[in-house]
Amino acid sequence: MSGTENYLDSWMKAQQDAFTSMGDMARKFQQGFSGFGSTGGAMPGFGGAMPAFGGAMSGFGGFPDAYTAWEKSVNDAFRGGDAGDANFVRETLLRSLSSSNAYLKLYELWLPLFKAIQQKGVSTDSFKDLIDPAKYKEMLDRVFGFNPDAAAELADQVKKLLESWTHSSQGFMQPWMEASARGYRDLPQIMEGHPAAFMKIYHTMFSAFDSTVGRVFHIPAVGKDREKVELLLRSLDVLSAYLAKNTEFEHTMYITGLAACEKMIAAVAEKVSAGEEFKDFGEFFNLWITVNEKAYSSLFQTEDYAKMQGELLEASLDVRKHSFKLMELHLYDLPIALRSEMDDLYKTVYELKKKVKGLEKQLGEVRA
Amino acid sequence: MKTTLENFNMKNFARELGEASTRFIKSAELFASIDEIDVGTAPKDLVYEEDKLQLFHYKPEGKVTCGVPVLIVYALVNRQYMLDIQPDRSMVRNLLQHGMDVYIVDWGYPTKADMYLGLDDYITGYLDNCVDFVRKDSGKGQVNLMGICQGGTFCGMYAALYPKKVKNLVTLVAPFDFSTNDGLLFSWAKHLNIDALVDAYRVVPGDFMNSGFLRLMPFTLNIRKYVDMLEVIEDREKLLNFLRMEKWIFDSPGQAGECLRQFIKECYQQNKLVKGEMKIGGRVVDLKNITMPLLNIYASADHLVPPAATKPLNDLVGSTDKSLYEFKGGHIGVFVGGKSQKELAPAISKWLHDRDRSEPAVKAAKAAKATKATRATRATKAVGKKQPRARAGNSRTK
Repeated sequence: MSGTENYLDSWMKAQQDAFTSMGDMARKFQQGFSGFGSTGGAMPGFGGAMPAFGGAMSGFGGFPDAYTAWEKSVNDAFRGGDAGDANFVRETLLRSLSSSNAYLKLYELWLPLFKAIQQKGVSTDSFKDLIDPAKYKEMLDRVFGFNPDAAAELADQVKKLLESWTHSSQGFMQPWMEASARGYRDLPQIMEGHPAAFMKIYHTMFSAFDSTVGRVFHIPAVGKDREKVELLLRSLDVLSAYLAKNTEFEHTMYITGLAACEKMIAAVAEKVSAGEEFKDFGEFFNLWITVNEKAYSSLFQTEDYAKMQGELLEASLDVRKHSFKLMELHLYDLPIALRSEMDDLYKTVYELKKKVKGLEKQLGEVRA
Repeated sequence: MKTTLENFNMKNFARELGEASTRFIKSAELFASIDEIDVGTAPKDLVYEEDKLQLFHYKPEGKVTCGVPVLIVYALVNRQYMLDIQPDRSMVRNLLQHGMDVYIVDWGYPTKADMYLGLDDYITGYLDNCVDFVRKDSGKGQVNLMGICQGGTFCGMYAALYPKKVKNLVTLVAPFDFSTNDGLLFSWAKHLNIDALVDAYRVVPGDFMNSGFLRLMPFTLNIRKYVDMLEVIEDREKLLNFLRMEKWIFDSPGQAGECLRQFIKECYQQNKLVKGEMKIGGRVVDLKNITMPLLNIYASADHLVPPAATKPLNDLVGSTDKSLYEFKGGHIGVFVGGKSQKELAPAISKWLHDRDRSEPAVKAAKAAKATKATRATRATKAVGKKQPRARAGNSRTK
């Protein structure tokens, strides 16, 4: 009897863990997709995310450190807040704050170049060495709302979820899980820009499961557990497709940014060679915006970009669809209305309303 | 040639950044003091309500000189108060001051319960009910239909289906020919798996739509706009003007899935409207059925709805009295730009007045007076109290 109790306790704990993991995963999904479909808060992660750059600006005014500290406190103070317009005003201030950060960040990024021009004169090639690609990438991440850590975090969450479910499936998948965990540890390297490697890892994992442990679950009458695990694995597969597509997309955006950066350097060099002066940072900023906007506009107008963006969206929607299926499957036994059930209800209400409106209209015409 | 030392005026650079930061710090106080952004302030009455849709009737400003009322139909994507964003930039007030009798449709914010609403529901349902209400309310047999952006496309579809109810059709920056790839949205939409999008969201969030709009000019719309704002941030009125626009931009209702699916698939991807293959409520939408006078306004620098998508309408309709009007500016400038207020609203008003000659001014004034008197006895409900004079299916609807 006590054995049964222990088993039930363990089972309950495993279910709770799975549920918690699922909640975390949902949150991570949202973060992961924040750059694609959630602009309500403007550029995600932008506000308050200013790495200390005061040191880089020494000798050019002491305000950045103070500004960063102030910006953080304003950010914190404005979080929460009221509903309605007050809330909207707060969001606008945060958006403005983010842009203000970007403005300063841009200054920091180009500062070595400014100094070099003053000290050494003009040389386009040597200028290239003065721009830190990592910082430039960070800048682009912020403009486009990319979250470079999101994919790794997301994958980690999926792993935890998988572990929880695996536990509830009596450890059948433990060896496979260990293999996949090893795969996840390699993620940071893979994220450097090798979409094919991504696909390989996930597809190998899925094939391994399907041809080994997965066979156990193909046996009929294992029930919902089997269904859940299989769906989870299929979710991993679509997640792999999404991550690969996302890597390809971000890579294209970075490459374009890099090309724009080179054009910017050339434009600056040309101006300097002509003996023209940048009177203020605003003038430099305007040039930077114009050059970048033009570079991305050219990219966006290509058929290839439109296709890639469409494929990325489709891949992300596939992940979303699978995550909803998983949640429904898990919540099925609880006394709550599921999304698919609500859809049916909405459809019935819609059809009835339409019918009633039509009849009322006919009645009105007869009366008239 | 200047010395290299002069190429970057570092003192100016540092001072400018310092000033910008200081200005921003000061502005936080001003931001904190603003708790209301007033938009859409022209006085109006809620006169009809159906599900989440609301129909408003603006109070006339002076004498109504155009007999047939104007029904304004905005897009589903953003809010109709763009046409009355602030008192000195209000197409609505401008039309009222030119003697027009104006109604406007507010589509509302769809929820998941509205996910099955299709084009048929919006056009032969809601829009037709609004037109019928205005016709009855004004005592006129017809309305002047004025559609903006997607609302203009809807009005074109409606006018093709119900030509007898529309006296004049005015379209502003409204897409009809979707075959063009001039605008990024047109190009992107062709590679959008709309079925997957709608199936995933049911009601596609406004934020999703906005992310697409912001991506059209990411550096300008995500950074420059806010940096530029620093220039006016200490001026409360200018800041409020900025905030009104921001409010409008981010006040994006979700899109009822079935309607969006049909609009993207049949318009953007298959261009059925131009081909005469589009069906709404089982009826073919033949643009040749548009025989009433047409005023088609496009913006020469429109990056959202390029002229290539708007101009062809004039060749597709059956109207003999048709005008093509070029507004030199962008999409948003059509509604709120200073030039729009000075030039466009008076031009629309004149065009409608010119075609109102069959309705003598005296008769129009009489009708308006009668309407006004009727309204007074009905104890008009104030806007915001959500008490329309009529609801769908209510026998009180005249």
